[in-house]
Amino acid sequence: MAKKFRSKKRVERTTNIVIYVILTLISIIWLFPFFYLIIQSLRAEQGTATPYFWPKGWTFDNYVKLFTDKSIFNFPKWYGTTLIIAIVVTVIQTVIVLVTSYALSRLRFKMRKPLMNLMLVLGMFPGFMSMTAIYFLLKLVGLTQSFGLVGLVLVYVASSCMGYYICKGFFDTIPKSLDEAARIDGANRHTVFIKIILPLAKPIIIYTILTSFMAPWGEYMFASLMAFGDQSYYNVAVGLKAMLDKETATEYFTRFCAAAVLISIPITALFLWLQKYYVQGVTGGSVKG
Amino acid sequence: MAGLSLKHIYKVYPNGTKAVSDFNMEIADKEFIVFVGPSGCGKSTTLRMIAGLEDISAGELTIGENVVNDMEPKDRDIAMVFQNYALYPHMTVFENIAFGLRLRKLPKDEINRRVTEAAEILGITEYLSKKPKEMSGGQRQRVSLGRAIVREPKVMLLDEPLSNLDAKLRTQMRSEIAKLHAKLQTTFIYVTHDQIEAMTMGTRIVVMKDGFVQQIDTPKNLYDYPGNKFVAGFIGTPQMNFFEGTLLKKGDNVEINFEYSEAKVTVPYSMMYKAKPSYLDGKKKVYIGLRAEAVSVNPAVVKASKSVIKVRVSHKEELGNQTLIYGDINMQGDGYTESSTRIIINADVAVDFKSGDIIDAALDINKVHLFDEESEVSILPRIPEYNYVDCTVKDGALSFLGVELKMPSAINCPDGKYDLLIPTDAITVKGKDADITVVANENINGVNLLSFELGGRRMFAVTDEEVKKGKAKIAIDWKKISILSADGTVVEAMPSVMTFEGRLLKEKVVEEVTEKDKTKKKKVIKFFLEISGYKTACPDKIADKLITAIGVKHAFGEKLLFECGPYDLKIAEEGISAEAAETADYGREKFAVLKVGENTVYAYTEAQVSGSVNLLPEVDKLSIIQADKHIRIV
Repeated sequence: MAKKFRSKKRVERTTNIVIYVILTLISIIWLFPFFYLIIQSLRAEQGTATPYFWPKGWTFDNYVKLFTDKSIFNFPKWYGTTLIIAIVVTVIQTVIVLVTSYALSRLRFKMRKPLMNLMLVLGMFPGFMSMTAIYFLLKLVGLTQSFGLVGLVLVYVASSCMGYYICKGFFDTIPKSLDEAARIDGANRHTVFIKIILPLAKPIIIYTILTSFMAPWGEYMFASLMAFGDQSYYNVAVGLKAMLDKETATEYFTRFCAAAVLISIPITALFLWLQKYYVQGVTGGSVKG
Repeated sequence: MAGLSLKHIYKVYPNGTKAVSDFNMEIADKEFIVFVGPSGCGKSTTLRMIAGLEDISAGELTIGENVVNDMEPKDRDIAMVFQNYALYPHMTVFENIAFGLRLRKLPKDEINRRVTEAAEILGITEYLSKKPKEMSGGQRQRVSLGRAIVREPKVMLLDEPLSNLDAKLRTQMRSEIAKLHAKLQTTFIYVTHDQIEAMTMGTRIVVMKDGFVQQIDTPKNLYDYPGNKFVAGFIGTPQMNFFEGTLLKKGDNVEINFEYSEAKVTVPYSMMYKAKPSYLDGKKKVYIGLRAEAVSVNPAVVKASKSVIKVRVSHKEELGNQTLIYGDINMQGDGYTESSTRIIINADVAVDFKSGDIIDAALDINKVHLFDEESEVSILPRIPEYNYVDCTVKDGALSFLGVELKMPSAINCPDGKYDLLIPTDAITVKGKDADITVVANENINGVNLLSFELGGRRMFAVTDEEVKKGKAKIAIDWKKISILSADGTVVEAMPSVMTFEGRLLKEKVVEEVTEKDKTKKKKVIKFFLEISGYKTACPDKIADKLITAIGVKHAFGEKLLFECGPYDLKIAEEGISAEAAETADYGREKFAVLKVGENTVYAYTEAQVSGSVNLLPEVDKLSIIQADKHIRIV
């Protein structure tokens, strides 16, 4: 007697259905806060949380007022400052991380391993541990408040090379014989790095750019300390928090939501622009494998 | 286009592992050299040191005219092909090949011309605009070859370039690389672990094992005259058969007895002239090597042969054009596992044996190889070290093979019968010690081996030039001969190398320096060598080598050994203090016998020497060795 069996196709289809249902549920839970934020930013009525979900009136006023009404909060200035800081930090940090990772991946020098471990361990301590000390140091050289922009860039960039780990791991996967071939072809280390390694390291360069942009873009603690209460030196994160203070929360809640939406735009744009370089198999065909 | 010279090259890793030890070789222009050996033998490391990808721990590497030890790879004018191709994946084939030329800032049309030419030679013209990932393994390796040849380098280095290709492609690429070598007329150095590649491509082959060079020779000579058991077993398929056995001299014949078997064969003693007499006593174990094709089962051959042994057949391998018969010379052996009685026979005729059959096999005894059981070195070297003859000493005269010579006073030997060892380099074809008949001249790796007859016995000498066949006269260098009795050495040859202990020193010396008409006192660092207590200035060149090889931290104070010949030591006003014991008179030359500490040292002298003297070594001629690690640095 033939044994009863279920068709492979049917089994596959049922599992797929189950998996997709679970995934859909998870993504709804995940996306809901963001969706709520957008809805709230378009709400016409004032006030903090409403007992109903869909707004009674729709308006773009919240966005417009962010840029026009600078009486209490100077949102455009914050936005500009943060953007400048983030861009400068991204450029410097990406360069430092790439260079450090290449050196740690390719060069063999004394204390290399201990240095790598030390950097890794140091990176595990939260940054705010040394916050007050750094603040007083910067104050001594006058890099707080009005020069806080420079001070913040310094603070964010200072420990960049500690982020070498992932990038070095990527460089390790690029065969060393490529370096060697290029060196025999007449390249020095610098040329090898620029002409051979960097073109092959696109995915990791993108990753480094994204991470080094996001960190200063949403940073709160140092920024708030550097501004030391003076609103004109706030960055967006500190500014937005200020909007939700007790005195202003009712009036500015919807504008806060609008600002939050605006903040997510550069990151999203950056990602959309760069993701096409995130292609797999860039090293294909160089060596056997 | 250039030759290479590797002198005492070492690669020592920081943890003390020696990857390459004392690599010496002269490579002529346009040669095709193959480094071959099992994995981990140091062949790739040597190649990478030539390329400049690895630092040279000690020794001197010369490409063309230049010492390149400290030169960047890009300045050495070499090109390299890697096992894994190492193509730049983001560049097209054209860009890959042109990369090196662009870095050297060649004009564009020149680059175009060269790349097109290289692509034509390698048949990859149609792929020039493709990326490496769109190509097959064989094509990629061609691109990699193209990238090397466009640079028109002095030396081409190839690191196992065919190992990643399949068997058929490998054979094809093999002949293409050989063709390329013929066309380019450049020096090629090729690394492989495949002995077939080595045999088919190389003009000379370097066989390596555990960082040591085993033998350097042409493929034919490696096959016919392996210097040791490893080379004999590594070169040639199927592997050479090795048996254990003993040799026993019986009058004009030598009996070869196979261990663990009844087999024995007899060969004329004339074949064994080059072997030390101590091997022929019937006790000392040797390895007997016979290639599969030196054994025959052809009935006609077996009938005519005098050297027949019995073999128990276990199984056979049909290869189409030939049949390999596996068997055992021990009637209890199974013939499957490699043992000292297993035999592989290359049968050139159609054979029909069943497993378990006992058959007769004829050995081609002219092709037998014999190796020492411990050192595994051939006991029948192509250039023998010594001539072994019987001699008699009576009333201060030494007689052997009908020659009678008066012994110089340095040779002190009681009357009696002895074995005489005359090194092949102790015989010169000038003088009047003995009359000989020159039989043959043989050029072996640049050395002339002279064969001659003396008193009906074949003897050998190493000479600088060929000697005309016929009658000639020879002289014997007394200081190199040894006389042995059954109990041991009676007369020892004078050592050719004297060893001293010492170290390198660094001192700050105040010197007066004139600068812009002003005389200043300046502290200058000077290097000195301490040789057995004698301090002498060390030339910067030597100090440099020592410091790079040992490392700045340990160079000073590290125990060194200094070696020199007896002619490089002079008795002078200053130098190493020594006590003169006696003067050894070897007839034509005199040497002072001196005591330095507990060591006996010989120094060339023209006069009698006695009492306390000073020995002045010639610093430039000293050979310096790092004592702990046995690394020859200078």
